[in-house]
Formats: sequence, C-alpha cells, structure tokens
Amino acid sequence: MSSKRGSIVPYLYLLPWIIGFILFTGGPILAAIFLSFTKWDLLTSPIWIGLSNFTGMFSPGSDFWGILKVTLIFTVFSVIITMAWSLFMAILLNQKIYGVSPFSFFYFAPAVVPLIALTFIFQLIFSKELGIVNYLLSLIGVKEGPNWLMDYRLVLWVVITLCIYTYFTGQMMLIFDSALKEVPKELYEAAEIDGANSLDKFFKVTFPAISPILLFNLVTATINSLNTSFTLIYPLTGGGPGEATQVISLDIYTNAFKNFRIGYASAEAVILFILVAMISILEFKFSSKWVYYEV
Amino acid sequence: MKFKIIGRSFQYLLMIIVAIVMFFPILWIISSSFKPLVEFNSYPPTLFPSHIYLKNFTELFRQSKIFVYLRNTLILILGNTLGTLISSSIVAYPLARMEFKGKGLIFGIILGTMMIPSFVTIIPQYILFKEFGWLDTFLPMIVPAFFAYPYNVFLFRQFYRTIPKELDEAAKIDGCNSWQIFWKILAPLSRPIFIAIGVLSSIFWWNEFFTPLIFINSEDLKPLSVGSYSFSRTMFIVRWDLLMAMATIMIIPPLLLYLFARRYITEGIKTTGIK
Repeated sequence: MSSKRGSIVPYLYLLPWIIGFILFTGGPILAAIFLSFTKWDLLTSPIWIGLSNFTGMFSPGSDFWGILKVTLIFTVFSVIITMAWSLFMAILLNQKIYGVSPFSFFYFAPAVVPLIALTFIFQLIFSKELGIVNYLLSLIGVKEGPNWLMDYRLVLWVVITLCIYTYFTGQMMLIFDSALKEVPKELYEAAEIDGANSLDKFFKVTFPAISPILLFNLVTATINSLNTSFTLIYPLTGGGPGEATQVISLDIYTNAFKNFRIGYASAEAVILFILVAMISILEFKFSSKWVYYEV
Repeated sequence: MKFKIIGRSFQYLLMIIVAIVMFFPILWIISSSFKPLVEFNSYPPTLFPSHIYLKNFTELFRQSKIFVYLRNTLILILGNTLGTLISSSIVAYPLARMEFKGKGLIFGIILGTMMIPSFVTIIPQYILFKEFGWLDTFLPMIVPAFFAYPYNVFLFRQFYRTIPKELDEAAKIDGCNSWQIFWKILAPLSRPIFIAIGVLSSIFWWNEFFTPLIFINSEDLKPLSVGSYSFSRTMFIVRWDLLMAMATIMIIPPLLLYLFARRYITEGIKTTGIK
C-alpha cells in the first residue's frame, strides 16, 4: 500500500520541500556559482568575465585578505567562547543543588529577545562616556576607559564576546544540558570508587559521554556564528571602524545590496560556501580522534 | 560538613554571577526605558530610574511608526508560522514513517541544507523575487515558509519517531489510508512539537532582521526589527530614552512567551540533539 516501495505517495508528501529546495536553495546555489563568473550591476545584462572576480579577490593588494582574516578570527573565537560558555552554563544547571530552574530561565532569556534590541543597549553599555563598563573600570582605577566599539584593536574582541547573548549560545546550552542529564550515574559512582576527583570525572567520564553532542554543537556553532555575525555586527559597528569588524557576511551584503556588485558578491558567497563545506568536513574528519559513539 | 556548606555557597555565588551577566542587558534596557534623557548623562550611571518616567513611551508612540512596525511583524509571524507548520509537518511524515527509494539521500540533503549559511543563497533569491515583482512586499518572507524549512522538517521527523509505529499498523488494518494515518493519528499525537515549532517560529520572526532588511524598503512595510533600526538611524543625536522604550517593547513579548511556553521551547530545542 502506501508504504510499499515504488509507490509515488511518499514523494507527494515531499513535494513542497522538493519545490522549495529547487527554487530557494539548490537553484540559488547554482545561480550563485554562475553569477560569480560575471560582472553585473542588476541594471544592464551580466557580462561573463571568467575567473576575474576570484583572481581580483586573491590578488596581493585586495581588501578581501583583511575580510577573510577578520572572518576567520571572528568565527574561530566566537565558536570557542560560545561553546565553552554554554557548556559552563549547562554544567552549572546540572549541579545537584536546590533551585536550579529559575537560573535556567535567566541563562536562556537573552536568546529569545531580538538581537537588534540588545545591540542598542550594548552601544550604551560600551559607550566611552556614558557606559557602565568604563564606570566599573574607573572604580578599579582605570581613569580613561577605552572607546570599546571605536577602537580598532578592541572592537573585534568585544563583538566576539557578545556572541554569548545570541540565540545559538542558548540553543547549545539546552542541548548540552540534556546531554549531561543522560550521562549514566553509575559511571560517576564507579569513577568515585576508583578515587577520581571532579576534574578526572569531567575529562574521563563526562567528556567522552557527551562528545557526539560536542561535535554536533561545534558544527552548528560554526554555521550559526557566520549567520548571526551580520545581525550582531551590522547595527553595532557597521563593519568598522575602518574594516576592523567587516566579516564576509557584511561584505557580501555591502557589495550586493549597497554597491550592486552582484558578480563579485556572488564570488564571495561561493568562497563562503566552500569555506563552510571545508570546515564541516574537517570537523567531522578530525572528530574520529575524540568522539566516542558508544558510551 | 563545613567544607560542604562553603562549596554549596560557592556554587550558588557562581550561578548568581552568571545569571547577572546573562540578564544584565535585558534589565538595563527595561530600567533605562523609564529614565528621562538627562539621566543617561548622570555619573555614576544609575541602576534604577530616580522615578518611573512614562513619557518616553508616549513620546515614542508620537515620534515613530511603532504600531505600523508591530502590525507588519505580526503579519510575518502569522504567515510564517502557519506556512511552516503545515508544510514541515507533512514533509517530515514520509521521512519518519515510510520506506521509499532515495530516502537516505533526501534526508541527507535536508540535513546538508541546514548547514548552508543564508548568505550563500540570498543574492539569487533576491534576483528571483525581483523577477516575480515581489520586492518590497511580505511575499519573499512568507511564501518560502509554505515549502518546508529543513530545520523544522528535521524537528518534526525526530518527534514522529518517538511515536510507536504499531499505531500506524493498527490504523491501516482498520482501513485508514496514509493521509488518514497522518491526520488522525500522527498529527494529534504530535501536539507538543506543533506548539514548540509554532512558538520558536514566532520568536524567530519577531526577531528576524536580515531578510526584511533586504526585501523591504517602504517605511510602512518594515517589521519592528528593521523599523527600530531605521528609527535609531534617523535620529540626529541619539535619543537613548526613546530607543530604550522601543527596545523594551521589543523584548517584553518574547520574554513573556518564553515564560509561559518554556517547557515547549526547551523540549523542542532539545529534540535537535537526539540522534
């Protein structure tokens, strides 16, 4: 009947996705690849220029090197910081103490509110004259606090740190939280009998047991930090000062929708696609060294 | 014993510090929204307003199009949530319940597309919607929802798999066809995941900034996220008082939704982690 092999019924249910995939994902990827070989301002017709977008991008004087560097620093460190922070929060929520539930409400709360509203308050919090951060610094003797969002040496690290308030950090915390709850209690008891201390228990019991979830979060954090970067950075710094926070997502937006360099922006999108694919493959490949699938 | 009490207190202290770090921006927004503009310049910064000052809100209602933005946000939420609940729940059904050729491949593609950053596909999508004549309308943001978002398909599929297959078999013996099995057995039993995805999708579209920024130009069609951003940009000097009032209006509804639907949200997200 319906579930028999060869019936068209399953494909009928899948039809919305198949159409959506062709129109909004698969087709656009092919189109982006095609457009990356062209020069196009959206007004006249596209001109085929072969690999020129790519050779221009990777030529010695190109500003793309800077963008690539900022993107890599942002991605690597925001992934490290958000993963460490979300795991830390999940561990706190798994302490065997009374009254954990209200804490989990506060830990996840920033994840549900609009990031754009948070960027408004971040501008105030990190303001040179009015900000609470510099006020707190003045209490411990720092007379002249830095201009956090305008200082090109500091600003990238500020936005990286602010990633702990994004949705994907909250999401990772919840996923870690449920993974920690599933670690068999007997393993800890056995380790205790063997005389293990808390650190031993974390690295010998907890870490191997949650390693598949660590890998899952590592991959999603990478993709999400690239996606979220725009909504965090664009309202906060606009990529500046100079190009200190100009990550690739901002640069694609500026080139495509501000300067109408559709071909060049598509070439950047293709590079981003390759970058993400490479990182994911690397993360999976490398994972066999530290991920244990059977506890 | 004494050692244990010290350890406990330290744990609580740590948990409170983390709670303050995470909740401080939200608290600061709400408290700032009740301060008159002059108080933003006071040194040291005041944690709570000297008195509750409501004029920021009335002033905001006068100076911005906040009610128009709010209406637009609600349209986006309604269209998307309806679209994704219908399409994703149906698409996930054969993936969880039927055997067919290419099932593994299709599921692999769905998982794979979840990993594609939206910036890779956005330019061709923009051109496509321009050809359709859909720019500066809600359609580019609502219509795709009716063609199943991979992430929600994945969540539905994970949930369906927790429902015993024997129920399908029994219904089949009673003469139900595959649609009736879905409609009468699977969908009613999947209420929690419908609610979870409904809530998550509502929060997502309340917050979504990037797509409306690209597809919407008219002030009268902007949702709250993009509208508040352009409001913050049109000001000659930053009116922190009005901006914080607007931010407060933006953060209260998702916080309330989270407060009341917390169980569904956390269970829904945790479903992602199940193998």
